[in-house]
Amino acid sequence: MPRILGGFIEQPRTKWLLFFLAVLAAAFAFDFSGTGLSELIMPLTGLGPGEEANGTDRLLLAIMLAVLVTADVFLVLRLPFVVQIGVVWAQLLILFLAFFYSFDLSFPFIAARLPILIFTGAFTTVYVSLISIGIACVIAMTAALARLSNNGPAYGIATFYISFFRGTPLLLQVYLIYLGLPQLGVTLEAVPSGIIALSLCYGAYMAEIFRAGIQGVPTGQAEAGTALGLRPVQVMGKIVLPQAMKLIVPPTGNQFIAMLKDSSLVSVMGVWELMFLARTQGRSEFKHFEMLITAALIYWFISIVFELIQSRIEAYYGKGDRR
Amino acid sequence: MKLLGITGILAGFAVAASTLSATAGEVMDRVTKNKVLVVATDAAYPPQSAQKPDGSFEGFDIDVATEIAKRLGAEVKFVTPAWEVITAGRWGGRWDLSVGSMTPTPERAKVLDFPAIYYFTPAAFYVHKDSKYQTVEDLSGKKIGTCGACTYEAYLKKNLVIDAEGAPPFEYLVTPGEIRTYETDVNAMDDLRIGDGKRLDAGISALPTVVEAIKNGYPLRVLGEPVFYEPLSVAADKGDAAFSAKLGEVVGAMRNDGSLTKISEKWYGVDLTKGD
Repeated sequence: MPRILGGFIEQPRTKWLLFFLAVLAAAFAFDFSGTGLSELIMPLTGLGPGEEANGTDRLLLAIMLAVLVTADVFLVLRLPFVVQIGVVWAQLLILFLAFFYSFDLSFPFIAARLPILIFTGAFTTVYVSLISIGIACVIAMTAALARLSNNGPAYGIATFYISFFRGTPLLLQVYLIYLGLPQLGVTLEAVPSGIIALSLCYGAYMAEIFRAGIQGVPTGQAEAGTALGLRPVQVMGKIVLPQAMKLIVPPTGNQFIAMLKDSSLVSVMGVWELMFLARTQGRSEFKHFEMLITAALIYWFISIVFELIQSRIEAYYGKGDRR
Repeated sequence: MKLLGITGILAGFAVAASTLSATAGEVMDRVTKNKVLVVATDAAYPPQSAQKPDGSFEGFDIDVATEIAKRLGAEVKFVTPAWEVITAGRWGGRWDLSVGSMTPTPERAKVLDFPAIYYFTPAAFYVHKDSKYQTVEDLSGKKIGTCGACTYEAYLKKNLVIDAEGAPPFEYLVTPGEIRTYETDVNAMDDLRIGDGKRLDAGISALPTVVEAIKNGYPLRVLGEPVFYEPLSVAADKGDAAFSAKLGEVVGAMRNDGSLTKISEKWYGVDLTKGD
């Protein structure tokens, strides 16, 4: 009996039927009446706008949706792989934008504020993040080497630093540097404070990434270098690090993209980065959604650009694996 | 090595920043010398302070700050630290003045000077426009939203202390069923906007803010008369008595010659500079 049922499910046609029914059930469970989607399809079901959808209408709507989705997936699966990805991205993007569009946003409001969001906001976000990730890399490398060393004080300082900056919220670190340091007589401007906070915090996370990368290179490599008569600095710089980079780059790219968004925390000091401007501009006419969605899309776009850059860097350090 | 690196960076910044930091008692000198008055503003509150698309600011507080700077013979420059950074005090000379509709509470007076009250804002309850509630008293036992750690929350909790001359007396008219607090009182309006009673039944905020929200299409309605009038003051960092005295003098003159009233009528349509 299970074998018969198994064979039944294995049938391609049955698989599609089950898929169709699953989509149908999901579509029926969710009440689309009153949403933009139902208004789009309503005329086909013979229901006027504003009319309450009854059970039959909802079922009809669900069937139409299920047919659409099933046909779509069926067709997409027949395309070449690369085209499949493109089509899926395009469809999801359209759905996403339609979702935003349904909020009835004021586009003139967005257009008037796009220049300041991009040229002041996004620009500040990117340059603060770029400088911070640069400093963070230096800190992380130093801390990772200290953690791997046999020097007691260096090891102690490095672990203390990593523990503290990973263990406390970034917002708190921003406040400590901006409001706490003046108590010691050091009054920093907002942007340097933000860069220091971001660098220290991300340096701590990345120290662990760097350490893992260095430890991920087999010890035989370093031993071979030593056997060839290289000095320890040469072993590290010419043999271990180039191989460690391959392991370090992907998570570091990850950290950078996370930092792009965490840099919004420096807005508490009045830095006009993207999130600050999106919030402030939105409040000027109580149009929060317009600005938040615009900021989301800008952040996303920047992230995509840096994802592409990251894949280039990965390809560069990964060339040792290619034959 | 690493420690050296960090302290090196810090020391570098410190050298660069040492010209920016001012010791107490020097704010007046700095303003007179540089002819620039740096004013902190929280640009989240139209019509008090809001940012225009080109990045400049507008509003009642902005106009008052500009007028104060003019009378001090200085250019006005606005910076935008978070509200809690402004109210934390110890500005370290980063900015000279806050013209931010700040209530001079005894707690804040420990870290800030309040040299001059420049207007009184009416606090009022608001409900969704479809709401069935008609009087403030109807809101007892309901879910009411407002900003956290602000005077409106204090009013709802019945521990509001208004310790300023000329502030009219008030009474507590509502016992909320639940108080929901947000980062700013505007967030409460966003929650009430979703629907009557969905997340909130009512909110309390500055009347001008509610009116501005309604003007911008929020489906809200002001409920009844204002429940209290809150005195609002300019604030300066502790420690420069000369600067604070000068501010009191300047704001007093603006009140007497009617320019404060004029700015109030421009932004609120009424004169809110007198406490009645």
